[in-house]
Amino acid sequence: MKLLGKLTVFLCGLLLIVFAGQFPDFGDPDSPAATHLSPYFIQHTMADTAVPNIVTSVLADYRGYDTMFETTVILTAGLACFFLLRLPEDDEKEIYFRHRPTGVTLRIVECGAAPEDSKVFQRIDSQWVPSDIIIRSTSRLLIPFIQIFAFYVVAHGHHSPGGGFQGGVVLGAAVILFAISQNLRVAIAKFSEKTAAVLSAAGVFIYAGTGMLCLMIGENFLNYGALAPILGTDRVMARSYGILIVEIGVALAVMSVMIWIYYNLSSAGKQDEGL
Amino acid sequence: MINTLPALVIIVPLLAALVVAGASFIDRRLCFPIGVAALAVSFVSAVALLIQVVNTGVAMEYRFAGWAAPMGIVYVIDHLSALVLVVITGVALVNLVSSRQTIIWEFQDKEGVFISLYVLFTAGLVGMTATGDAFNLYVLLEIASLSGYALIGLGKEQAPLATLNYLFLGTIGATFYLLGVGYLYMATGSLNMADLASILPGIKDSGIVLFAYIICLTGLFVKMALFPVHGWLPGAYSQASSPAAGLIAPLTTKVTVYIMVRICLSVFSFDYIFNYLDAGKIMVWLAIATIVFGSVSALAQTNYRRMLAYIIIAEVGYMVGGFFLGNRIGMSGAILHIVNDAVMTLCLFMAAAIFAWKTKTDEREGLKGLFNTMPLTMAGFVLAGLSIIGVPPTCGFFSKWYLVSGGIAAGQYGFVAALIFSSLVNAVLFFRLFEICYFEPFVDHHHGAAHSDSEAGIQEAPMNMLLPFLAVSLLLLVLGVYSGRIVTNIIYFAIPAGVI
Repeated sequence: MKLLGKLTVFLCGLLLIVFAGQFPDFGDPDSPAATHLSPYFIQHTMADTAVPNIVTSVLADYRGYDTMFETTVILTAGLACFFLLRLPEDDEKEIYFRHRPTGVTLRIVECGAAPEDSKVFQRIDSQWVPSDIIIRSTSRLLIPFIQIFAFYVVAHGHHSPGGGFQGGVVLGAAVILFAISQNLRVAIAKFSEKTAAVLSAAGVFIYAGTGMLCLMIGENFLNYGALAPILGTDRVMARSYGILIVEIGVALAVMSVMIWIYYNLSSAGKQDEGL
Repeated sequence: MINTLPALVIIVPLLAALVVAGASFIDRRLCFPIGVAALAVSFVSAVALLIQVVNTGVAMEYRFAGWAAPMGIVYVIDHLSALVLVVITGVALVNLVSSRQTIIWEFQDKEGVFISLYVLFTAGLVGMTATGDAFNLYVLLEIASLSGYALIGLGKEQAPLATLNYLFLGTIGATFYLLGVGYLYMATGSLNMADLASILPGIKDSGIVLFAYIICLTGLFVKMALFPVHGWLPGAYSQASSPAAGLIAPLTTKVTVYIMVRICLSVFSFDYIFNYLDAGKIMVWLAIATIVFGSVSALAQTNYRRMLAYIIIAEVGYMVGGFFLGNRIGMSGAILHIVNDAVMTLCLFMAAAIFAWKTKTDEREGLKGLFNTMPLTMAGFVLAGLSIIGVPPTCGFFSKWYLVSGGIAAGQYGFVAALIFSSLVNAVLFFRLFEICYFEPFVDHHHGAAHSDSEAGIQEAPMNMLLPFLAVSLLLLVLGVYSGRIVTNIIYFAIPAGVI
């Protein structure tokens, strides 16, 4: 059976390579892919959408419907992780508190009265180690810059490599960096699971809702040109703005799904003691 | 209004899934009504689309973002896709309504996310059916697959392992399809189905096109669980929770068969497959192997849901074989069977859900004495069983009739024999089940050993489980009676005019 599997894989690979040999040459200007649709996009993008970056206009306008579902795929991944991994919060047998002024750790067993999380007492994990001042300070310095860069990437998709997916990933990474440099508990206190879940759905909703708005105005779904009266511009510029709006939705969804998945994966669904 | 229906049929469930996902973290009671309402809107739109298409006789086109065909993405609703849309949205709606208790009971605080994934899965299938773009189909396939894995994964103890198998094979299948689309794009520079269909005849000698066809179809075969790439299906469907199984089992394989029909007829064209490649014969033999394998394996199962899973594999063989017979009557049978089998499988899995609710087991022996306690449920179950076997006037008979006639017309007697063999096996399977439900436990009148059982009285499932189930089982009869009309008014137009 193992041999049969290996043989099949080998045969498949061989066939792929053999038939790939019949492809047009790499970068061939006469290949069907370069002669059929590409000329239209190259010649008309600027006039149709006022977006200099052709990739962005194809991604978010000509084929924006696909991209909406790619964003939904990411949301689905987040929902699936939550659905499969998340465990109910059961009453913990023992919880730990650290008395900040003295550094003494309290272990509170079942039914014991736990102190409030405050300036004096800090709820900690069983594997708690004092956080490193170098890591903490570096992250604190870096995170705002990472986030500003992410906003730049989101907003600049029209002109340079960038856009919602990339910007969203960088934004999410900033929060995950915060979670790693502190600990999961602190991160969840700042950016709760509910926030992550609601924002990720809201992100996709911004995208699909923009499309729905166009539909309600009386044009086709996702036809951003319909938004011109609302945005106060002509139809071509409205397409450009429409792309920006949906990119913001994508960024929001990607960011919060990344964080949500990180919460669930790093704590094996307990959202308690993570990395 | 009519012109926006092709968009609404998918956008409403999509938006609802997002709202439900958010609402599940705010107020959980909102989730179920929103899900049901969205699927109801989608179902009504699908029915309206079908009526519109049947009345006008022309396919409807919807341009997303307003761009015309090869540049943008279009939805094309013709007779075939409108029919399948009604089936998908109908099955999803009925199953969701009937499994309210089970969802709340089985998933407790995750019911909102379950419903969200459920609606997303439906939206994915709807999109796959409606789309006229080969790559857009892949994107929606991803949505349906991902949410499907999640829905199945939270089932019984063995579910995660079964899902992992499904995930590996499903991913390979989807990747094969994507590779095929990539090859097609290399050869033609287009992703739109109609555009592809106009370019491909000019380059049909190209090896790239041939390989694209082979690899697309292989990917779809994995997804529809054709023998010998069926391995993921029995585990996944028997381990899933009942609400998830009731959604996924009736729809996934059928929609994949629909996609195969679509790719073969709308992209590669009838002429390329049956005249140029002459691929019909070998595919029919593959289908025969699937039917025989599925039926024989079903015989070996004592677990009721596992048995159904193997029957589904055999049914996939019916549809694939019927399509590749290459004549009008066989193809009609295959398409009619997409509808009928979806309803039959839904009915059987709803019965399974009721049994599971009642007896807490999927084993065959757990069904003992159910005729006494649940006469109405058993009546519906018997109807579904008879339909799978193919007893007139249930709908199963008519699609089988078309398939057998098609097999004889094409001279494929092996296929005819396989169909009859499979029907006999189904008869054995279901009459064994009826026997267990009816006669066991053996009542010994002299000692009154089983007296207490009959005194337990009638204990039917809750109303919102029972009524949809009975409605679906009656639908089997209705579909049977109207089979002729469905074929002459809808399916006749779904097959290209050149096919005899």
